[in-house]
Formats: sequence, structure tokens, C-alpha cells
Amino acid sequence: MTAAFTARTEQAIGDRTLKLAIDRTTGTARAKRAAAVADWPGFEQARELGRDIKDHVIAHLGHYLAEFERNAIASGAKVHWARTAEEACDITIRLCRSAGARSVTRAKSMLGEEIGLPHALAAAGIERVETDLAEHVVQLAGDRPSHIVWPALHKTREQVREMFAREHADPGPLDSVEAMVGSARRQLRMKFMAADVGISGANFLVADSGAVCTVTNEGNAELTTTPPRVHIVTAGIEKLVPSMAHATVLLRLLVRSATGAELTQYTTFHCGPKRPGDADGPDEFHIVLVDNGRTRMLREGLAEMLRCLRCGACLNHCVVYRQIGGHAYGGTYPGPMGAVLTPLLDGLPATQDLPRACTLNGQCAEVCPVKIPLPKLLRGWRDRSWREGLPPRTEVFGIGVWRFVAARPALYRLATRLALRSMRLFARGGWIRSMPFARGWTAHRDFPGPARRSFMEQIRGRGR
Amino acid sequence: MSARDAIFAAIGADAHPAATAAALLARVPGLRPDRVGNDAVESFLARLTGPSVAATAARVASLAEVPAAVRDYLRVRGLGPRIALQPAAALRALDWAGLETHGGIAVDEAASVCLAAYAVAETGSLVFRSGADMPVLFAFLPMHHIVVVEAAGVVAWLEDCAAREAGRPAPRNLILVTGPSGTTDIEGVLVRGAHGPGHLHVILAGAGAGVAESS
Ligand code: SF4
Repeated sequence: MTAAFTARTEQAIGDRTLKLAIDRTTGTARAKRAAAVADWPGFEQARELGRDIKDHVIAHLGHYLAEFERNAIASGAKVHWARTAEEACDITIRLCRSAGARSVTRAKSMLGEEIGLPHALAAAGIERVETDLAEHVVQLAGDRPSHIVWPALHKTREQVREMFAREHADPGPLDSVEAMVGSARRQLRMKFMAADVGISGANFLVADSGAVCTVTNEGNAELTTTPPRVHIVTAGIEKLVPSMAHATVLLRLLVRSATGAELTQYTTFHCGPKRPGDADGPDEFHIVLVDNGRTRMLREGLAEMLRCLRCGACLNHCVVYRQIGGHAYGGTYPGPMGAVLTPLLDGLPATQDLPRACTLNGQCAEVCPVKIPLPKLLRGWRDRSWREGLPPRTEVFGIGVWRFVAARPALYRLATRLALRSMRLFARGGWIRSMPFARGWTAHRDFPGPARRSFMEQIRGRGR
Repeated sequence: MSARDAIFAAIGADAHPAATAAALLARVPGLRPDRVGNDAVESFLARLTGPSVAATAARVASLAEVPAAVRDYLRVRGLGPRIALQPAAALRALDWAGLETHGGIAVDEAASVCLAAYAVAETGSLVFRSGADMPVLFAFLPMHHIVVVEAAGVVAWLEDCAAREAGRPAPRNLILVTGPSGTTDIEGVLVRGAHGPGHLHVILAGAGAGVAESS
């Protein structure tokens, strides 16, 4: 695994096209998020409230799950429960089969990726049509998503143009990004109308109404869930909120942190199937509630991770993610949140490199809209690797990360500056007695507190 | 043990948390972004037509003037007179002379005219409740989405939506539309008209409660 991870990392670092593609999208995302946050004086208090709402739900998960189930059933939904990814896929495939489905449209859902739904549909011989533009690109490329908000962020416009020219029925000139989006619109339009089943995820499950909230900018979720006869939702059990009013608090945080907008273009609360007299909508509405490790997170010290809104901010601000991209992480979820989740989902022995792929700068926790202490959780995995006697081969990767960061002077300066800033948090009276990730050192001796400025910064300051 | 029982067994039983859930919401008013001034209608229009939401808007004195405003929009955009008219009684009752209205929605419809249930000043959002008189696809298939909303129906905050919905039977879909559809999926470049409408035009009818109070 270490060899595989190192190989993936080195390949990614050597890929200039990939670097360009990552920079273009994450750079815009960081700038827009920063502007949105600067424009909101109450942001910090709102993060605290967002954290407290999620913690409240997690502390009372049983109560809210039962309430959600009761209200969803009352709205006409059918609720299904899955302990594992396999159970979730089996239920979904069974529902598709009993609907006689030949073609299924899908609105992007990370949970669907996590449980391996694309493969399950293919194995069942059911046509899968990804409708989110980025997922459409990823599907055409036979690829995997590399970001949780922009799954095709690793593709440049040139690569997309080439694929659309080859695969679309009516591509037209494709001489601009606008023209490419137009071609995808034409290509997918009839697919929306012809699908037998539409599958979506959920951004929130609203306990007091049984509604499922989805957010999209393209409008593909509603086009996925309205024309087909059957709508299936697959959702993690941690997506619960007590009420719509609680959801709005989290929506403000989620959307600003993801794209810098104040609200997504389409924010929809789906509640049950078509009502008598309704002009459109599905006859059947199924909700598959998935555990897949979430109750284990409660027991194993990872409850804070269940707050995650899947906003992607920690990816956009991670110096490692920005160097290596999403695929190098090897799991469904990349970046800091992925480095916490993947060892749980795929097992620590095979993934122990991921918690090491971190430069200590603490940026992820600083931007997280629900204040998840990502560095602390990563340290938990590192400690556990030691306790379980897993061979410390991961050090090799740690050095690998240092090497590629150090080989890039601008990045090295950034990383040390940020690391100094976070180290100062642990310094008391100029000496560091305890610091995450440096237990091996601070357990036996104190570590000198960092200088106000890094060595490089001081040299440059003197030169001027 | 069923999957359901196993999941509940892993979580454990807990006490009823209603009071704590309500206490969390009591913190909301103090920390919202400063988006709604004294006049909810003006705030709504400002957000709606700002660079982020990027819709266009026109104001008319009453619903009776809406068809003329729709004709103006279609003419300026160089569009034909054919519109998909949402089967809402308040829209059907208007005089659509000079326009070809129809009650269905085509897959490649050029323009639809809809009536929003209400609107939100904070975010510049339009709220639709699906039903017999509001087919969801009217808001998603056309290239031009023309939306009528009454100024008296503009609420201030997102939480006001929750308050308005409380105690009413939930529609299949409660939809907040905040701008024309868009995507940044190719290199982060914003393109409008991804799958849903490429253009959102709002016709605000009448005077808002805020205006009436302050005048
Ligand atoms: S961990 Fe925080 S920043 Fe990262 S995706 Fe989840 S909510 Fe967003």
C-alpha cells in the first residue's frame, strides 16, 4: 500500500496538467469563500451554532432517526435500513429491479460513491446516467471523482472538449466552456425524461417533517427526481437535523464554505411521493438510510467527524491536496476529511499513510464550517497505528511529502509560515510542552517555541 | 436482528431533546448575515439582481399588469410569443392577449411563466410549493423562467420559510430557487443554463408590507 500510495503521489506531483486544473478550481473556491466569510461578521458564532446543532443531533441520533422514520412513512415514503455498503446497494438494486428499471438517472451523491452504487448498477446491467455535469465528465472518462464538490476538477477544458466531441450526439463546435455545457445539456435532456428510476442523495434529513433536502446549482436533482416513476434517496444516518429551521443555519454555512455563494440555486425539500392530484412527481419514494461505519465512528472516538457537511473547504485549503489531487488518496473521500474517513471505511492497515499526509498547518480545522478538529482526529489515527503495532513504514511517506513540499520553495515557505502559526498555539512561555504530531519529541523534552517569523522570513527581512 | 434494530441497538436509547433543540434556534437572530434592511422588498430586489444571484427584475403595480411585462421581456429578448403558463388560478385569470399560452411543458420549452408562493429577502430566493397547480418541471425545463411574485409575499429570512411552512401539509417538493441554473464544473468557470433555466426574470407585483408601513 505504501508503495502504491507513493507511486500515486509521485505520479500526481509530476503531472503538470493536473496541477494546473487543481489550481484553477481551488483558487477560485478559496477566494470566493474568503469574500463570503469576510462579509459575515457573525460567521464565527454561526460555526459554533452549526457545530452545536450537529453535536446535538449526534447525541440524540436514536430519537431523531425514529422521528424522521415516522414522519417519512406518514408522508408516503418507504424507509429502508442498511448496516453496510453491500446492504445499501442490494436494497437499491432490488428496488430498481422491481421497478423494471432499464435506465437510472443519478444526481451526484458522495454517499452513493461511498457505497459503490455505480458499480452495483453496472453489475446489475442497469444503465446509469450521471446528471451532474462533473459526474457526467467523470463517467465518460471512466474515471473516479477527485473532489467532493467538483468531482471533475482534475480535468482541463481541453480534455473535456475531446471527450464531448467523441461521445456526444450533437456536440456542435465546443469552442468554449459555454458550448461544452450546452452540449451536455442537449445530451442529457432526453435521458432525464426517459429514466425509470431517479436516485439522489441527501444534504439534510429533516426529522420533524420526514423531508429530504438536496442542494444543487445545475437543477439536475429535480430533473432526476421528478420525471421517473420511482425516486430513491440514499443517505447516511448522520444527515439528520431536527427541523427546517435548523437546516437553514447549516445551509448558510455549507454553501458559503463550498462555493462562496449565499444559497445554492436550487434548494429543495423532497417529502414523499406524488400527492393525489399533483401534476408531476414519482409514484414511489424510497429512502435508504445507511450506517456503513457511522455507528462505529460514535464508539471509536470519531463522533466529531459525523458533523461533516461535505462542503469541500478543507480540501481547497489543504497544501497536500493541492499538490497531489484527489485520486492519490485512493478512497472515496480525499483531502483532510478523507484522511480521517478512509481508514475507517477501508481499514487502517491499508490506509495508514493518509493520516500522515499532513503538514501540520491546521488550515483545514480553521476553515471547517462545523469546527471539526481534523488534525486531532488525524493524530488519533496515527496513535492507533502505533498502538496496533502497524509497521511505521508510513514515515517514508511523511518524508516524501516533506520532500515534495521542500522542493517547491514557494510552497515550503507557505507551509512553514502556517506551521509556525499553528505551533505558536501550543507554546507557553516560549517552550512547547506538548504538541500534536510531535509526541515522540515532546514526551521526553520540551521543544523550543517557534520564532515569530521563520528563518527564511527573517533572512529576507534583513536583506531589505 | 434486522438492520434497523442493529442500528438502533448501536446508538442506544436517549431522552427527548425538544427543549435543547429549541434553545439552539434561539441563538439564530444574533448571528445572521446582515442582509435585510428595514424594507424586505427592496432587500429582496437588491439580492435578486446582484452579481451573485444574477436574475433580472421588473416591478408592476398589480397582477393585472403582469401579461404586459411578460410581453416586454419576450420582445426585448427576441423570443416568440409562446409561453408555458403554470396552471395557477391567479395566472389563468389574467388577460394574456397577444401571447400564445399553453398548459403543458415541453422538453425544450423556450419560456415558462410561474407564480411563486412567496420570496425570501435574505437570499433573493423564490419559493415554490409543488402541487396540482404547480408542476415542478415548469421551473426546470424552460430556458427562460419568468416568475411572478407578490410584494406582500416577501419574507425576510430563511427561517421565515420554516415558520410559514410549519403546521401546513408539506408539498411533495418545497423548492427555493435562487438564480438561474449554473455550473462551475469545468475549470471553475461559471456558465449559466446548465440543466435548468439559463435566465431567471422576476416580475414583482404590488407594494410590499414593508413599503406600506414606511410610507
Ligand atoms: S470536514 Fe469540515 S471543511 Fe471538510 S468537508 Fe467536512 S464540513 Fe467541510
